[in-house]
Amino acid sequence: MNKRRTTWEWPVIIVVGAFFIVPMLAMTRFAMQRVPMSLLGRDTIFSRWTIRGLMNTITDEKFQPAFFLSVRLGIVTVLLVLALLLPTVLWLHLRAMRWKMVAEVVSLLAYVVPPIALVVGVSGAYRDTVPWIVSTNYGLVPLYAILCLPFAYRTLDVGFGALDLHTLVNASRSLGASWQQTFRKVLIPNLWTAILTTSFLAFAVVMGEFAISSLLLKRTLPTYMVEAQGREPQGAMGVALLLLVLTTVLFMVLGRVQKKSPTSSSQEIRITP
Amino acid sequence: MSQLEFAHVTKKYGDLEALSSFTLSIEEGELISILGPSGCGKTTALRVAAGFEKCDAGQLTMNGQDISAVPPQKRNMGMVFQSYSLFPHLTVAENIGFGLAIRKMDKKKRESVVSDMLDLVRLVDVGHRYPHQLSGGQQQRVALARALAVEPTVLLLDEPLSALDAKVRVEVREEIRSLQKRTGTTTLFVTHDQDEALTISDRVCVMSNGVIQQVGTPREVYDNPSTAFVATFIGETNLAVIGGKEVLVRPEHTRVVSDAEPDSFRGIVQSLSFAGPLKTVVVRMSVDENLIRATMTNTVGDDWTVGQEIGVVFDHVLRPADH
Repeated sequence: MNKRRTTWEWPVIIVVGAFFIVPMLAMTRFAMQRVPMSLLGRDTIFSRWTIRGLMNTITDEKFQPAFFLSVRLGIVTVLLVLALLLPTVLWLHLRAMRWKMVAEVVSLLAYVVPPIALVVGVSGAYRDTVPWIVSTNYGLVPLYAILCLPFAYRTLDVGFGALDLHTLVNASRSLGASWQQTFRKVLIPNLWTAILTTSFLAFAVVMGEFAISSLLLKRTLPTYMVEAQGREPQGAMGVALLLLVLTTVLFMVLGRVQKKSPTSSSQEIRITP
Repeated sequence: MSQLEFAHVTKKYGDLEALSSFTLSIEEGELISILGPSGCGKTTALRVAAGFEKCDAGQLTMNGQDISAVPPQKRNMGMVFQSYSLFPHLTVAENIGFGLAIRKMDKKKRESVVSDMLDLVRLVDVGHRYPHQLSGGQQQRVALARALAVEPTVLLLDEPLSALDAKVRVEVREEIRSLQKRTGTTTLFVTHDQDEALTISDRVCVMSNGVIQQVGTPREVYDNPSTAFVATFIGETNLAVIGGKEVLVRPEHTRVVSDAEPDSFRGIVQSLSFAGPLKTVVVRMSVDENLIRATMTNTVGDDWTVGQEIGVVFDHVLRPADH
């Protein structure tokens, strides 16, 4: 049994690894090597590598406003999602477990409602009553928050579920801490990794969201990149690659943080008296 | 004046009355146990005292002040829980200092209190460790130190020993009692374990179905149970028929004799078991076919065998059996 597993282990790792790595290598080559595919061979594999396309795109006067708009939208969305979900999930776990099913279904709305329906619905409903939702860039934030709900809710739900919440809250309150102090000094530190994961995921969604911002005619990073692909395809691909690398680094940092946390189960050491 | 007083406290969950006109006063420096089977309302009483549950009727007073509506964080009570409740992200020392930091005690004074507390629970060397690096017994001792650090008016213990294994349980239980005596902290201890309640309490409050059955010293509730429930819940009892009436008798007051004594009842030996210095004999009584247990020293009855006809004497009747 064991032997069979080790026999199959490597081919599986190689196939799955290739599935992820080959497209990335292809992206890198396309973005940074100026040799046509037909001329690619042993002698040309290392020639004419350049980051000029990437630099052209990054230094384009329209790139930076789009990039920073997406970053700002990402940060505000993360804050909104956390402000909405942290108290809600806490309340569900402490007082209203029977409502959890409802919350789970509601959190899946983003998968059920296609972006086009969301945009048409929102602009129809709010154009006259709350016009900033349609007219300003930050009007995207509530829509992005809905998009982030499915996994943001689940990540926090798992985080809260892993704690003995009632006991921690009661212990803190019996020691004199108010609700706010309990939240700040006991819950947040113990939910730190769940909060970080939620934040990174939500941020990544916003940085990559195209459909809604395009339909609402906002110039975010993804809409800019689609536009730039026509002018400077290699540059746009370079930016995509850069974002991919940045996200990977972020998640690796997150992994390190999780391992270092004293609450992490990977550090479970029991010393008996 | 009593330190903590429940006056006709009633708490309902839907149709279920978890506490029914619960009245109990706890004197200063006293350790009182609430003992009862699971679901009897003992934890509800503790949670009402802590402020985690609001009572539907009645009043809770501390030093004469009505605290029924005071939130938990303003009651100045220390609490130790059934499950391990240390904050996992804080070290042992930080856990103990948590309540003091909330009270804005300055750092130097806080450190000195924490070190006194670590000394008190004999855990001086583990201040820098995290809770997951401690054994269960150590965690509960730290939880106790954390609760005592804030010098609570009343210490609430919610079955703090139930997650521990038998040997550690006895150690920690003795430690709780000695600390409670040394600090003179008024303590309310909830347990379903009669040994725990009888060994460490000044008084025991026995509960069943949300109602107090009896409050008294361990000796009183054991020797003079006021209801059949108390008699059968605390210690073991035999149901015997004497003079046509059903009565409850402790196994240690039940004696098996080989010869027909004048007051003895006849029965057949069902089983004999040896437990170190003691011997337990189970006898099926001829009069009503009931099984009764007799516990006695191992020095008698070496020649008894299963199936033998034998005499049984009841030296002391505990109380009539209620129906």
